[in-house]
Amino acid sequence: MANFELLEHTADTGFRARGETPEELFIHAAEALISVALDPSRVDAFQPRQISASGADQQELLVNWLNEVLWLIDGEKFVPARFETLWFEDGTVFSQLLGERRDDTKHPPRIVVKAATFHQLRVAETESGWEAEVYLDI
Amino acid sequence: MDIERIDDVRHRIPADARHGMKTDVRFFASDAILQHIRKDKSLEQAMNVACLPGIVGSSLAMPDIHQGYGFPIGGVAAMDWHNGVVSPGGVGYDINCGVRLVRVNLSEVEVRARLKELIDQVFRDVPCGVGGKGHFDVTEKQLNQVLERGAQWMVEQGYGGESDTMLCEERGCLREADASQVSARAKERGRPQIGTLGSGNHFLEIQFVEKIEAGDAARDYGLKEGQVVVLIHSGSRGFGHQVCTDALAEMGAAMKKYGITLPDRQLACVPIQSPEGQSYLKAMRAAANFAWANRQAMTHFLRGSFERIFGKRVHLDLMYDVCHNIAKREKYTWEGRPVDVLVHRKGATRAFPPHHPEIPAEYCAAGQPVLIPGSMGTASWVLAGCDGAMQESFGSVCHGAGRLLSRNAAKAGRDAREVQKELEARGILVRSETRDGIVEEVPEAYKDVDEVIDVVHRAGLARKVARLRPMGVIKG
Repeated sequence: MANFELLEHTADTGFRARGETPEELFIHAAEALISVALDPSRVDAFQPRQISASGADQQELLVNWLNEVLWLIDGEKFVPARFETLWFEDGTVFSQLLGERRDDTKHPPRIVVKAATFHQLRVAETESGWEAEVYLDI
Repeated sequence: MDIERIDDVRHRIPADARHGMKTDVRFFASDAILQHIRKDKSLEQAMNVACLPGIVGSSLAMPDIHQGYGFPIGGVAAMDWHNGVVSPGGVGYDINCGVRLVRVNLSEVEVRARLKELIDQVFRDVPCGVGGKGHFDVTEKQLNQVLERGAQWMVEQGYGGESDTMLCEERGCLREADASQVSARAKERGRPQIGTLGSGNHFLEIQFVEKIEAGDAARDYGLKEGQVVVLIHSGSRGFGHQVCTDALAEMGAAMKKYGITLPDRQLACVPIQSPEGQSYLKAMRAAANFAWANRQAMTHFLRGSFERIFGKRVHLDLMYDVCHNIAKREKYTWEGRPVDVLVHRKGATRAFPPHHPEIPAEYCAAGQPVLIPGSMGTASWVLAGCDGAMQESFGSVCHGAGRLLSRNAAKAGRDAREVQKELEARGILVRSETRDGIVEEVPEAYKDVDEVIDVVHRAGLARKVARLRPMGVIKG
């Protein structure tokens, strides 16, 4: 089964991501977000970065994590190519990743994502692992 | 869902329809529009809004209502200023997304003769800012001035004249904005985007006045048939998005402190009078000012484009500028008593009636101009606010056509060049920074704007003044 797929929404777009573990789910959700914003096959893994996000519960943690990734792309102009490691510690998610500085010629935007939202947000354990549905405001 | 029909444009969902609702939902729709509305979850969202603490009157929805996140898009909710809540979702991520209409002293015939040159010039001069930077490189201090002074800052820097700000809602600047309440991230995300159009449904259209429906108001607004106008639909870009994201993250935690529980986390809210509520409102006003500065800068670039093609004889005068994603403190008489409320307009436009003290003297007799952008390549409308809006909808009407199809459904099987050619055959030239910018916004992705306008006109919230038709479209 694919790591993620896009979902339909009248005004916006969303995705359903899966992972065998919560760690993998968070990585695949971030990859889904990046693929909405630009073409991930054009991003090279040149430089390392570490990012983190906190949340009071799993839903908040996932939304804040995705908004942290969005900040990296849109605010710091750095695009992740590969999430090397991801771990949870006391309500905070940490990740070491590789990517490169955003270059609009090399990475033309597909859609400008405003934010990951709580709208119809779902994070659940399934028979085969973990699954989340997230809608993005675009 | 138990919907009561009040008359042919008014409908109601009673407060006892679901546990937790503090008031009823009232919405404006024709039978045809109601069929569309029933297909998504927008009415459920309006019922969720009816659960918010301190709501005054009904949870309201306009005929262009469609499903949003938390609030429906096309939703209006007035909260008691002293005992109610503020919800960033009731404003949206694109704070002060709004519309500006500029009058041009040229006719459709004159502009059509040089339309291709003109649209290419405008596309070069007005930055979309999707894949690059705008024309401004501001210091932190200057950015703070933009956030606290809005369109007025642009005019002070030479990007426009005094009359430009006189004809904006709030004169292009919400007072009590506070740049110190804005995160460093929002400032960094917004800084390179000052004066840019943005993407998604934002656009700049060269249009002409196709039909005047109310001669008196059109005269006061300086509009006549065949005249060229430019409509700019844009907002606060990444700056506003980050202000909303920051506020939602903070409010999620603060809601526990205030003992607020809600049916949808995207509705996150705090008491207006709480430190978190006041901080959000100050940052929201800064984002609103950022958007007004953007539209003012684009107006300046637009004037340059017209002058390059038509020479110094061309004049571009601001007709009006109004926002449709905002929360504002306003006073009303509601059910016979005076109320002091924070009106959330999420995809809804202020529509004050004649002689309201907040509207410019020029428009006092006609009522406040209400600018409704249609979808790309169809029509837009100028309306005038009416007394009905004060009595029924906290001085608010619709904001656009309202989406029918998701962006992916709109794109299915459509090619940008083919859409561009179809529009060209109808006399509309389109320039877009991205391919998706054209196909996602095809006219069939939206409800019929004329039908939406007809509902608010028949309901007496605003009256039709002029229908505008596009000739040239710039998209992000």
